[in-house]
Amino acid sequence: MHLYKPEVEKQKFWNPHTQTMPRAELDQLHLRKLQTAIEYAYARSPMYRKLLDRHHVRPEQIRTLDDFVKRLPFIDKKEILDAQAVGPPFGDALAIPEDFFHQRFATSGSTGAPLHIPLTYHSAELWGESWVYLYWAAGLRARHSFYFPFNWGIFAAFWSAYMGVRRLGATVISGGGLDSKARLRQIEQYRPDVMLATPTYALYLGETAREMGVDLAKTSISTVIVSGEPGGSIPATRHAIEELWGARCYELYGIAEIGPTNPGCPMQEGVHLCEDWYQALIVDESGNPVEPGEVGEHIVTSYIQDGQPLIKYRTHDLVRRAERPCGCGTTWAYYPGGVLGRTDHMIIVKGVNVYPAAVEALLHRVAGLSEHYELHVDRDATNDFVTVKAEARPEIDAARYAELGRDAESVFKSVIGVSIDVAVQAPSSLPRYELKAKRFFDHRPAAHRWQLARRSGS
Amino acid sequence: MTREETLDRLRDLQTRVRELRQASDNPAIERTMQLLDLYCHMARWELGDVRTMNAETES
Repeated sequence: MHLYKPEVEKQKFWNPHTQTMPRAELDQLHLRKLQTAIEYAYARSPMYRKLLDRHHVRPEQIRTLDDFVKRLPFIDKKEILDAQAVGPPFGDALAIPEDFFHQRFATSGSTGAPLHIPLTYHSAELWGESWVYLYWAAGLRARHSFYFPFNWGIFAAFWSAYMGVRRLGATVISGGGLDSKARLRQIEQYRPDVMLATPTYALYLGETAREMGVDLAKTSISTVIVSGEPGGSIPATRHAIEELWGARCYELYGIAEIGPTNPGCPMQEGVHLCEDWYQALIVDESGNPVEPGEVGEHIVTSYIQDGQPLIKYRTHDLVRRAERPCGCGTTWAYYPGGVLGRTDHMIIVKGVNVYPAAVEALLHRVAGLSEHYELHVDRDATNDFVTVKAEARPEIDAARYAELGRDAESVFKSVIGVSIDVAVQAPSSLPRYELKAKRFFDHRPAAHRWQLARRSGS
Repeated sequence: MTREETLDRLRDLQTRVRELRQASDNPAIERTMQLLDLYCHMARWELGDVRTMNAETES
């Protein structure tokens, strides 16, 4: 007895109909989906009705993709927070009766009020499905078991990945409510095939394993899937995880309020846009689409969120859409390197854009430095300047720290072309995180940060 | 089976599921039929048959 027929299990794609659809057909299908989503939001979400009315746009005026790009306004997190404040928790952002709620999430509110996220059963199933494109492409099937070293709280985090395992028909093993040592003992006991974590936590478990005398490469884990922060598409970080776990490492890029938008490519160098359930634009500072190959802000429309629609949502993530296909065979948009940075983490040193993801990638080139680092940005009268605090590996003698720092500075200078100070720290001196790691510390004057935020529309 | 044949069967199935949802006075059956309706809608989207955002706004 099989959950999937053997000939179906061999299929390369989860939904071959759309994953191999020619671009022109895919765009036609997007137009129909966008029109449906806009009509739905306008009819049911007071927030969207007010937004479109304010911009003098009606759903029936969106007849082409060009209309969608040029006529429909962007929406930002602040506007959703304002709409929710009208009648907390969801206020004017809500588009469906509470009967249809299935689960509620919220963001941490670390930059202001928490954003509330209502999921219907429909949207929960499809958040899950968005992960399955990656699971399937990575060769994972119903017979595999997935370990979640994750405390199941109000943050969306890995909940959608769990929904994906259910959708695939595979087995969930929960590591909730345990510390890292107990989780590693559970992995040895239950022998799961897959582990899902942030890249930072996947690497941190390596430190715990060393303390316990456990070799992670000898555990049952053959696939590590990372999400929640950049890393899986940064070759050095990915290789470090693969070496540690003796496993293949894949990435999914998602956004708490909109879901798992970009399952990783099986070729591992980047992520695809999940074009069954999302549409995306990549735009410059003025909001105009950039050419393929250029970096811009990721603007996402969800076809999933029927509880709280999000159309042309400003993610503030910086991505680059490839000019050529990645080679895995899908026609879906491909973003090499995954998320490259944030519009509000923009650093310009002597006219050169410095992306935090590039800094992380280069640090791994310096033998003797670990994966734990912090990036501190400050500003003098005219320029940003950057200091990186990076931990040395435990086997490195403290007498070599200054030399390691100079090595790293020389790599930055030769590859990015700018001077970045590197202060090498003792092992375990920087904080550790189970979910998103805080890597970016902005000490620039508030007035300058506000200027950046206004430029990026946040 | 072709895409069109799959879609024809899905639409037919969905119609019958909705009829049963309406006709049943058993909460368990009503909920199960509501979920089946949702999955039929989802399968049609997966094949590019896009009419409404979700099953509830279709009926």
